[in-house]
Amino acid sequence: MMRQWKLKEIVLMSIFGVVFAVIYLMFYFFGQGLRNFLTPFGLAPFGYEVIFGIWFIVSIIAAYVIRKRGAAFWSELIAGTVQVLIGSPAGPQLIISAAIQGLGAEVVFLATRYRNFSLYVLMMAGMSAAVFSYAWGWFQSGLAALTPGLIIATLTVRVISGALLAGLLGKYISDQLAQTGVLRGYALGKEWEEKRDKSA
Amino acid sequence: MINQPDLNRQQLEPLIRVENLSFDYEKKAGSSLIDDVSFSLLQGEVTLLLGASGSGKSTISLCLNGLYPEAVEGYKKGDVFFRGREIRQFEKGELNQKIGIVFQDPESQFCMMTVENELAFTMENIRIPQKDMSSKIDRILEAVGLKDFQKRPIHQLSGGQKQKVALASVLLLEPELLILDEPTANLDPVSSMEFIKLVSELQKERGMSVFVIEHQLDDWVLFTDHVLALSQEGKLIADGRPDLVFKEQLAMLGAEGIHLPKDITKFPAEKHKRLADKAPRFLERTISISHLSFKRKGNVILDEIDLALHKGEFVAIVGENGAGKSTLLQLMAGILTPYKGKIDFLNKSLKQWREQELRQKMGFVFQNPEHQFITDTVYDELAFGMKLNGTGERKMKARIDVLLDHFQLQNHQWSNPFSISGGQKRRLSVATMLDETPELLLFDEPTFGQDAKTTEELMTIILELKEQGTTVVFVTHDMDLVDQYCERTFVLDSGRIVFHGHPEKLWKNEELLHTARLRQPYRIRKQNLKQQKAGETYDLVR
Amino acid sequence: MISSVNPALKMVAILIPGVLLSFSFDIFTPLIYLIFVVAFTFMFSKISIKKWLLLFSPFVFLAIGFAWMTVLYTSDSFAGGRVLFEFWWFEVTTGGVMVGISLALRSLCFVALSLMFILTTDSTKFMLSLMQQFKLPPKLTYGILAGYRFLPTFKHEFEVLRQAHRIRGIGRAKGLKGRIHQFRRYAIPLMANAIRKAERVAIAMESKGFTGETDRTHYHQMSIGRKDWAFFTSIVGAFCLVIIASYQLGYLNIFGVQF
Repeated sequence: MMRQWKLKEIVLMSIFGVVFAVIYLMFYFFGQGLRNFLTPFGLAPFGYEVIFGIWFIVSIIAAYVIRKRGAAFWSELIAGTVQVLIGSPAGPQLIISAAIQGLGAEVVFLATRYRNFSLYVLMMAGMSAAVFSYAWGWFQSGLAALTPGLIIATLTVRVISGALLAGLLGKYISDQLAQTGVLRGYALGKEWEEKRDKSA
Repeated sequence: MINQPDLNRQQLEPLIRVENLSFDYEKKAGSSLIDDVSFSLLQGEVTLLLGASGSGKSTISLCLNGLYPEAVEGYKKGDVFFRGREIRQFEKGELNQKIGIVFQDPESQFCMMTVENELAFTMENIRIPQKDMSSKIDRILEAVGLKDFQKRPIHQLSGGQKQKVALASVLLLEPELLILDEPTANLDPVSSMEFIKLVSELQKERGMSVFVIEHQLDDWVLFTDHVLALSQEGKLIADGRPDLVFKEQLAMLGAEGIHLPKDITKFPAEKHKRLADKAPRFLERTISISHLSFKRKGNVILDEIDLALHKGEFVAIVGENGAGKSTLLQLMAGILTPYKGKIDFLNKSLKQWREQELRQKMGFVFQNPEHQFITDTVYDELAFGMKLNGTGERKMKARIDVLLDHFQLQNHQWSNPFSISGGQKRRLSVATMLDETPELLLFDEPTFGQDAKTTEELMTIILELKEQGTTVVFVTHDMDLVDQYCERTFVLDSGRIVFHGHPEKLWKNEELLHTARLRQPYRIRKQNLKQQKAGETYDLVR
Repeated sequence: MISSVNPALKMVAILIPGVLLSFSFDIFTPLIYLIFVVAFTFMFSKISIKKWLLLFSPFVFLAIGFAWMTVLYTSDSFAGGRVLFEFWWFEVTTGGVMVGISLALRSLCFVALSLMFILTTDSTKFMLSLMQQFKLPPKLTYGILAGYRFLPTFKHEFEVLRQAHRIRGIGRAKGLKGRIHQFRRYAIPLMANAIRKAERVAIAMESKGFTGETDRTHYHQMSIGRKDWAFFTSIVGAFCLVIIASYQLGYLNIFGVQF
């Protein structure tokens, strides 16, 4: 399953998982705050939806940087598991949501046979993760108990958030990292070097 | 020029033979990072590899055990033989058992949480049966002096202890060659000395070959059999017995920017006098601290600290890791709040300062320069503070040009701050604090991981600032630096100031040095050595 | 004792009710199961009640918040029953309140299950048992452990970054744009450092003879025995019993369908 992976790529992926587990947890509390803020306006359910995309970002970054089969899925799963280990209030079923979200992103990369990592594909991956996570949330976190109008609205917001906060922001952060030169030994870093050599 | 290899060496079958090795990270024409290098390492010999930063020393060590070029997708030419067999003919992992490496960074060479599990990881890799593991762990921990540390989480250990764990786990492989890649670069002086002593004992006991890459070579030279040196172009420029190499090729090595044993170089005693012995003429107070205490999670970190610093003074705060040095510095900078006590900066309580004004008048340089970088280019880094201060466009440009020029960063002004060299990062991190000349400049281990050349460049800049009236505070482990530059020293031990005064007085107080785990600077050690009879054993501590 | 149960199997045992609970929308099922989980935790582990309460109580507030939101936004299929009161444009019904309480209890069940796992499990052994029993490749297992090890380092580094930024005057940057920049300023140095460390650790591991082969000896020999299955059966079995009881008593509600 991991034959064609280098050890340093696996370690990198899991370090990404760990870093983003912490960031995800921070956003959990941030979302809580956002929701409390929105409650008086009657918009509480959107509190989390607006920032939901952030929870898919590690898939996008790992896949975009490493470009190997499984990067999107495993990185998200690791981030989910680490969140549980460091004590996320969402509980152990977070591991399953993480796996499903990761799968959502992975499917898009698989569809391109891991050849296309353009912004468009990355945003699609973010949106696909959003749809997958919504489908899961439908039963798992009681979304089914909400009114249909609200369901359509929240789903739309989540998909947009997935495209922007996961796809767009994920690409932006990865490109910023590539600029620092630390990704020299990974697929994205090499692409940057080639580009630079061509322009030089 | 390469020394004539001595005859005894040639007759022996080498453990490692390197033939015409070249290596580069990118495929390109012209000279490589490592350029056509050939040498041998013998059974039971201790070899020292010298070379300035960036000359490819670490790269060579990873070429020897076959991890390069594959791990970094580099390009290698030439052959490396281990006991006469080309290393490509070994099975994956087979060679790694025969060649063990201890790396520079204590933070990033482990994959397990506890000492015990890390040691077990190594043994599992080479398939040592489970029933033998416990006894092996006990024995190896005993050997490196960490007997009671078996169950401890590695991240709670000190740097020196971590390096000993790294050494222990490598020794479990029972390697024929031990490679040490700047193993003490991140350690405090006493821990570093202990580590070197441990290696020398274990080497004698086990008779393995040792290949040491090191900047600070004073303590190693004492038991080195063989010296190699790389030029900045990656060519081998010295290969021979240490006494011969340091005698015949001294000037050439110095010109290459290679650190030389202080035993051989003349120590700049005159320079020392000029800097540290200036009579104090301080009148104006920059910062004064009274009855300062600080607690973290209920533990007392600092206890009843009193001190006052004056305009244009250069002061060092020294002490063991965990003595509270960095905490004191952070309190002075106002980024921590005291539990008790008072800090006045420019005769005004720190609490009454407006954040923006305070940051203009006071600078703080962190141990890792990267932590201070917040923009995409060197130019923007320098502009950032000035923009916040509302400096006018033209004035700002002029000031940035001055800084770029002064800190030798002109050619990198549009580079990403993370991508420049270590020395350049260090200079940039200081430059970002100088949008206006600060009254107080605080440094946390500024010379950590820097080589001799970059340290000297840094010190030149700092001394200029001092001349302009800036008060400079260093938290440092480098006693040679303290000896050479500082007018006053504060020694912290378990959160209290146990000494303050001229460094010269500190060096005489051996008991205090011992309890605070400090080491005399080289100048003093040498003086003491002279007083002892020639031929007596070196006492590395004093 | 729960702490000696095979961690991988323990995880599976906990995930089953963790997932299945999601289907219930009544009060009885999660309440009874919550009581069971808490009692089980204290009967078979040495966790101090004080520590547990300290960790558990913040989630009670989160759960109440969650319940309140659900009460306000219950869909028609759930919002049956009498209208209790109205304010602004909200209509609070008995059905809504029931679902709200149910969701709150359910999330507390998750928390209790998680605490039971976290407080009794060594993360290293968890990974090792995933490798030994569930055939996770060693490369992935040790890669994850190596990454996990950096967690305390990150905390420290984050703290230092915050201070360093303050020195540079970042505190003065404000607004949404400022916030986004702030995120970047933390993320880039943290990750740049992480990437360098990943590379170094990987090389250090390989230089200690790690090849990623599955053929290796094990210092901690993990296994699944009778005791582990006993744990599994208790956790999953108790859940089944609760479902049956709730069905018998007529409380069971799955997706708004009363059984």
